[in-house]
Amino acid sequence: MTNLTRRGLVKSGLGLLAACGLTSGVEAQRAKLLRFGLSAWPPNLQPWVSTGASAGTVKMLIHSRLIGYDRAGNLAGELAESFGHEADGAWVFRLVPNAVFHNGEPVTSADVRHTIEQIGGERSTAYMRAQFQSVSRIETPDARTIRIHTKEPVATLPTWFGNYNMPIVWRGSPANEPVGCGAYRLESQERGTSLDLVAFDRYFRAGLPRIERLRLVVYADENLRFAALKSGDMDMIEYVPWQSMSGVESDPRLRLDTQYGPFMDILFNGTKGPFADARIRRAVAHAVKREDIVQAAFFGRGRPLEGVPIVEGTPWWDAELSKGWRYDPAEAKRLLAAAGAPNGFQTVMLGTAQFGMHKDTAEVVQQHLAAIGIQCELRLPDWSTRVRLGTTGQYEIAIHGVSADNNDPDGLTVIMDTSLSPTHGRSFGVQAPRTIDLLARGRAEFDETKRVAIYKDMQRAALEEVPLVGLAWRAQGYGMDRRVTGFTNIPGALSTSSGFMLTETTIA
Amino acid sequence: MAYLVGRIASSVVLAFAVATIVFLALHLVPGDPAELLLSTGGISPDPAAVAELRERLGLDRPLHVQYLGFLTGLLRGDLGRSLVDDYSVAAEIALRLPRTLELIAAGTIIALAVGVPAGTYAAVHAGGAFDRIMSGVMALLMAVPVFVLGTLLILLLAQTLKLMPAGGFVPFWRDPGQHLLLLSLPALVIGKGLVAIVFRMTRASVLDILPRDHVRTARAKGLAEGRVLRAHVVRNAFGPVLTVLGLHMGSLLGGTVLVEYVFNWPGLSTPLIRAVEGRDYPMVVGIVLTVSGLFLLINLVVDLLYAALDPRVRAG
Repeated sequence: MTNLTRRGLVKSGLGLLAACGLTSGVEAQRAKLLRFGLSAWPPNLQPWVSTGASAGTVKMLIHSRLIGYDRAGNLAGELAESFGHEADGAWVFRLVPNAVFHNGEPVTSADVRHTIEQIGGERSTAYMRAQFQSVSRIETPDARTIRIHTKEPVATLPTWFGNYNMPIVWRGSPANEPVGCGAYRLESQERGTSLDLVAFDRYFRAGLPRIERLRLVVYADENLRFAALKSGDMDMIEYVPWQSMSGVESDPRLRLDTQYGPFMDILFNGTKGPFADARIRRAVAHAVKREDIVQAAFFGRGRPLEGVPIVEGTPWWDAELSKGWRYDPAEAKRLLAAAGAPNGFQTVMLGTAQFGMHKDTAEVVQQHLAAIGIQCELRLPDWSTRVRLGTTGQYEIAIHGVSADNNDPDGLTVIMDTSLSPTHGRSFGVQAPRTIDLLARGRAEFDETKRVAIYKDMQRAALEEVPLVGLAWRAQGYGMDRRVTGFTNIPGALSTSSGFMLTETTIA
Repeated sequence: MAYLVGRIASSVVLAFAVATIVFLALHLVPGDPAELLLSTGGISPDPAAVAELRERLGLDRPLHVQYLGFLTGLLRGDLGRSLVDDYSVAAEIALRLPRTLELIAAGTIIALAVGVPAGTYAAVHAGGAFDRIMSGVMALLMAVPVFVLGTLLILLLAQTLKLMPAGGFVPFWRDPGQHLLLLSLPALVIGKGLVAIVFRMTRASVLDILPRDHVRTARAKGLAEGRVLRAHVVRNAFGPVLTVLGLHMGSLLGGTVLVEYVFNWPGLSTPLIRAVEGRDYPMVVGIVLTVSGLFLLINLVVDLLYAALDPRVRAG
């Protein structure tokens, strides 16, 4: 039943002006519809190519992964009803018996094999390409069992399958029309504007999804996205802007769910200039008062990050190590003097003006470095230029913002392993051999107790070698009408993967 | 005929120059479309995957080869396909351009509906309270940036009073009422500057016409004041208003960028901005070429109209 509202009256008037008696049928279905405000139009929905978290949300709804996460962020089977590591070194996954693709074909081990082979293929552009190229052999002894052997032992292999760029696709799919087995089917889309998803009636998880239709509407402007939630145009939005979080909290009709996952950091060029010296990098790490970044860039909606970005509450987090780069200007000056630069120096700091949080963070860091004698000229081009300059090492010090792949310290490898090929999101050519070695050892260790010890050693090494400098965790928030229930923002780095929770979400 | 051929030829040359400049400028600034696409969200892509995508998109070819390919496509009327999702650039423009033009048309209608009557009334009562108040209001409308007015309207009408949706788009065929509701605020904002221009131009023209002999004669014949105004004043005053309107409609195309962004109206601006940010070369060139073509077309039509009306123009 459509409620009589002021807006309804205005709309009715305009409808009459249009001399058309048609009315939307959408409102009559409100009880079965959730309207979700996306922050960006998915550049494309190719299953294995990373095109951002908004695209990831859509992909997790129309596809299923082998492994997912529970509400606490623990690994949990999705298409796999069980998984484990066997004595011969193989990871073994057992598929649920009742999963079918949207075309009615059953999900089998051959489909998982096909997916892995496509991702790890020579001509692949998949995000997880490098990881799956380390797979040496795949066995499919029956239709529900997959055994995966890797060239080196990998304790964290299940996390690979938990990435939102890892949907399992029907092996007979046409090249540009991947067939998935997710909770929803893509019913229609208004290009650049909205996507309409409808529940897949043969979804394998009993009782899910709990909403018949999802309408995903793109609001690229964060203020408008918030306004759409406040005005009731949307039932739920992602990426609540930090300055608007209090506005959500103060509205009795709305609810805010935040987690600290993504973070800001400083990257260095280790091949030239003053930051090739680890003591200078440590001086930078001790020179910045993080609380100022939290206030200036995130309106207080963040947390200082004074160590390696390990998520608090995980077994690898350590209270003392998490303060390893505490704000200490005197120590920063001592380290500068020890490195032969007691009076500091001049440099250029790379960032981007395209994103406010990058620019604001850069300005705060600039002020604090000036206080110890490091005078930074800010270079803030558009994001495209920032990426290119970062990848090619055309900078000395840079501001970046990122999220780890997951909450396991191995998820930081892509950010901290400076021996990997250069990209804009890692320090360029910084020598951090102990850190890199310990990351590799942690990845290969299956004993959880030993892994904890290894990763604490890794943090100690990183605090000295400084492959990056953590600055601030930033709050990642979903705002929603209180009638929306069943949604949980997954902790830590997994926050950007929380979109899959929409399958368990409902609205009164 | 020679004049017509000459003007069309110069327009084609100009369009070609615009396309070439945009193509080269885009390729000269830093940024790799393949790397940007795979870096969405700030993540670090595998460089091997980036190289593979570059090859797949043809970005590894020398610049002159890419340029020749672009020109060949252009001569066939093919604007190419998006590097991001392989979608036809022409189809994207065909989808988006009508929405932008609709926005401009709606803004223009608002400008005419408000500016002409208000300008006429202000001129007839020149120096009066209405004239002075409206002059102030129009100056304010000219001064307030579109994004400020847009944001204030959203805050007031959507967030606070909940009278209007915050923004967005619904196709007319799906829900005409909602479509017009969503169109109204951006049209109002984009039309606000034009309202002031039309108001001022109408007021000045009417003031110019009012003391003329034919108006005095019409009144002397005993015609009602309303008919004198409609048939003998406003009608004659409308010529200059239309000329100015035509000139400013072109500039409204540029003004839509902010308005479309603020109100989430999916016109041509959104894909243009996204394409520039993502270095989606074919999409940028296609859209810029289309907008430039529209400008050139408007100029050509205006020139031809002038030539038709004034033989001295044709004679050069």
